[in-house]
Parts: sequence; structure tokens; C-alpha cells
Amino acid sequence: GRRGAGRKPVWIRLWRRGKSGRRGGLRKRLETEARASAPSAMAERPEDLNLPNAVITRIIKEALPDGVNISKEARSAISRAASVFVLYATSCANNFAMKGKRKTLNASDVLSAMEEMEFQRFVTPLKEALEAYRREQKGKKEASEQKKKDKDKKTDAEEQDKSRDEDNEEDEERLEEEEQNEEEEVD
Amino acid sequence: MAAAGSGTPLEEEGPSGEAAAPQPQAPTSAPGARLSRLPLARVKALVKADPDVTLAGQEAIFILARAAELFVETIAKDAYCCAQQGKRKTLQRRDLDNAIEAVDEFAFLEGTLD
Repeated sequence: GRRGAGRKPVWIRLWRRGKSGRRGGLRKRLETEARASAPSAMAERPEDLNLPNAVITRIIKEALPDGVNISKEARSAISRAASVFVLYATSCANNFAMKGKRKTLNASDVLSAMEEMEFQRFVTPLKEALEAYRREQKGKKEASEQKKKDKDKKTDAEEQDKSRDEDNEEDEERLEEEEQNEEEEVD
Repeated sequence: MAAAGSGTPLEEEGPSGEAAAPQPQAPTSAPGARLSRLPLARVKALVKADPDVTLAGQEAIFILARAAELFVETIAKDAYCCAQQGKRKTLQRRDLDNAIEAVDEFAFLEGTLD
């Protein structure tokens, strides 16, 4: 076969695990629903690991010529494929981060992952998108800084803002904090 | 290289409507470099599902979202080539299966869609 016999990457295992859910009540609900309606439990899995159907459909429709339709099953399968793609890319990207002895996945890790996954054709458009994203983030940041300055005319506050914004660690901590909070909610 | 500093925390933590079409995250700042339509919160949830991942920067999440979009476009187009051969105007599940089997880059999907 095209893959090593029996070798299942981490992300497939966690994809399957994610599908069946980790919480008792949830699993019961999924099992009941799965028994009631034939299709895979995947269809009833709460939105956590799914991408919004409407957006997926729109992307598909725009990629295809006018007048071409897509069956619900095909759309649903593409949506699942996209989720699997993200999981696989994450896993690959994480390997690059670990190689670089970093704990935080960054954009270049993801780009390296694309090459490793043989999606080199994505790299250029992704780099362009990244540049646009950075410009936009910078614009937002400057706008919010401006607002802060306008609101608070004290010199002390200005100096505080500057040092805070230059500190990248803050953002990572905030992200981490967010993630910790989310972990509590989810589990 | 740490994630580029940004004053704003990750957006889209709020309601990312499942049923309704979510609004695009941000206006396009440059023509042709359209920013992601997929809600970053969902992509972030997928990333966090991986137990080996400690942290992911905002940029990484964004790039993954954009890559997933490109992936959807790519696989839809490849599947459509199969449907065209059958002269059908509706993409079916089997077109997708055929594309996955035919295209090497889609090998990672084998066994994951059922």
C-alpha cells in the first residue's frame, strides 16, 4: 500500500478518539444517535472538530464552475477531509517546532509542514496571505494603540503601553492563559 | 522565531455559528491575498486536539486556516475532474474517493473519512 502497513499516525488516532468523544454523557448521546441513524458517529459529533458547513460549501462552490453541484455526502466528506488535513499539518508542523526546540508553533513551521506534505503549491499563496495578515494585524495594533493614547493622555500610561506592546512574551502568555481556560471548560 | 507580537488576542473565540455562514474575519487588506474565511477558533480547536502541541501562535493558526481553504479548493477541483469524466454535474462521494486514490498528496486521507 501507499502507507506503511498497520502504521497509524498520531493524528489519525486522535481524530478517531475525537470522533467518539471523551466525556461520558457525550459518548452516550453519540451512541444513541448513531444507533438511531445509520451514518457514522462523525455526523453527530459536536462542532468541536468540524469546520462550518456553510463556509466549506461556499469555498467548494467558488472553486468549481458555475452550475456544478455537490452532494451532501461529498460536501460532508470534504469537510472531514479538511479537518484531517489540519490535524495532519499540525502534527507535521509540530515536528518542525520541536526540532527548533520551540514550544510554540509558528507560521514557518506550518509552511515547512506544507512542503513535507507535498503541498508545495500552497507555499506561495500562503506566504502572500501571511504578509497581508501581518500588515492587517499591524494596522489593528497601531489603531488600538492610537485609541489608547487618545483615551489616556498621561505620559506614564504611554510609556507603559510601549513596553508592554514590545513584549512578545505577553502574547504567548495570553494565548497560553486562554488555552488553559479553555482546557478547563472543555474537560 | 516566536510568533510576531500582536496586541490583539485571538479573535473569534465568541460564537462561531455552526449553522449560519460566519462573517469573514477581517476585511481584505490587499486584493488577491484574501484572508481566511474559516473561523480561527475552530482551527485552533483542531490544533489543540493534538496532545503533542504545547502552544500555537496566532499566525500559525491563521496559516493553517488558509491552507485548509486551499486544500478544500484543491480537492474539490480534483474530484470534479472525475465527475466530468462521468459527464455529471453533481459531485458525488465516489468522485472524492477516486481523487483520493488517484492523487498521491491525498494518501493521508485514506481510511479517515468513514
